[in-house]
Amino acid sequence: MKDTNVIEGIQTMTQQKISAKNVQVRYGDVVAIKDVSVDIAANTVTAFIGPSGCGKSTFLRCLNRMNDTIDICRVTGDIHIDDEDIYDRNVDPVQLRAKVGMVFQKPNPFPKSIFDNVAYGPKIHGLARNQSDMADIVENALRKAALWNEVKDRLDSPGTGLSGGQQQRLCIARAIATAPEILLMDEPCSALDPIATAQIEELIDDLRQNYCVVIVTHSMQQAARISQKTAFFHLGSLVEYGDTGQIFTAPSDPRTESYITGRIG
Amino acid sequence: MTNEHIHSAFDTDLDGVQAEIMKMGGLVENAIRLGMKALETRDEDLAQQVRAADAEIDHLEETINERAARIIALRAPTAIDLRLILSVIKISSNLERIGDYAKNMAKRTVVLSNIAPISDSVGTLRRMTRAVEVMLKDALDAYIHRDAALAADVIARDVDVDQMYNALFRELLTFMMEDPRNITACLHLHFISKNTERMGDHVTSIAEQVIYLATGMKPDEARPKADKTSTARGF
Repeated sequence: MKDTNVIEGIQTMTQQKISAKNVQVRYGDVVAIKDVSVDIAANTVTAFIGPSGCGKSTFLRCLNRMNDTIDICRVTGDIHIDDEDIYDRNVDPVQLRAKVGMVFQKPNPFPKSIFDNVAYGPKIHGLARNQSDMADIVENALRKAALWNEVKDRLDSPGTGLSGGQQQRLCIARAIATAPEILLMDEPCSALDPIATAQIEELIDDLRQNYCVVIVTHSMQQAARISQKTAFFHLGSLVEYGDTGQIFTAPSDPRTESYITGRIG
Repeated sequence: MTNEHIHSAFDTDLDGVQAEIMKMGGLVENAIRLGMKALETRDEDLAQQVRAADAEIDHLEETINERAARIIALRAPTAIDLRLILSVIKISSNLERIGDYAKNMAKRTVVLSNIAPISDSVGTLRRMTRAVEVMLKDALDAYIHRDAALAADVIARDVDVDQMYNALFRELLTFMMEDPRNITACLHLHFISKNTERMGDHVTSIAEQVIYLATGMKPDEARPKADKTSTARGF
């Protein structure tokens, strides 16, 4: 891993975790992201909002190099996590993804037991020395994901047998089992009922203590409820980025205003 | 930005509550004008009408607050829509207070009609209420047109009202020193003029809401103040 010393950002209050500069993403000839620069703070929930196809998910996927898996996708520009260029050729994407966990729209537990779902990541990254070590890691992750009390008596039953909300929390437990520093969430509640959504939102707020959380959401109310920073994307550009309170009371860009108030932009 | 929501019913709700504000504003303007006319012409019947009409203003404030609460609950307004709802709640409360002051003027008119008139003090009072009435009209125009510049102009004009009040205060003081029999009438006139000065403050507050609504920012300068009678060396 490369060590670079960069002068501390101007925002002295919270430490910047992710720093993206002039990021452009193309799928073949189609430009999906045009020149996006953004600094994302540690221990903060940052929400990406914007209409479908605006590039918010594409940008999120740049942050743990998930776009590498798409052949025609080209990412240019700089993305630094903790002053380290994640697109540097010395960076191993698998190691990067252990540090930058991801949770998807639909809960996608492995067709394995609840225990094995959570143990999978620590196992492939060799994070546990023995069985009892692994049991601790799994319990810890399930506790952090607010799922332990519901599943502690049936860790051997299949993860796919849980309810949708429990499955999503299982996926969050799986993502945090490798002790990541950043959690990326791509519409984690869109397949869940309001109660399960509220539980996940409460969980996201707790996770903020230990992680930098970046969430893509279509629900503006969700962004308003759980995030401290909001970024509005439109047609591949970052239109406005600021404190969530300001974005939802007095946004400075008319396009942000049109979108969040439900007007035709 | 287009002004239409994708949910057209949301627009209907917002238009509805703004229409109520304009209706309330019209009633309050009337109350000031007719209240002053009753005072000037010593018309007790007209004064009674102004007092009775205040009930509708109070009722409208209730309606507006209920509608606003409903919009907050059902539509979760954000940005300009949120500022609109907040401004509607505050402006209706300002208008209600102005209505109360007009009603109070009518109440004192009933007393004043039955005692000897005080030379030309009513003339200064008429200019003062007229200034407030025009300020209110402009503030409501600024509101409906989201005109922050006009709202700022209204705020600047409050100084004139304050100065008229100072002048009237000194004038009434002189009359009271000249002849103690003037004291009752002068005290009533003083309360009316103080209330009119307060109306100006409420209009200023409405204009401040308009600036917040239109720009998302609070008016940056502290507004000019010229009512010096409450400070020791004021006169």
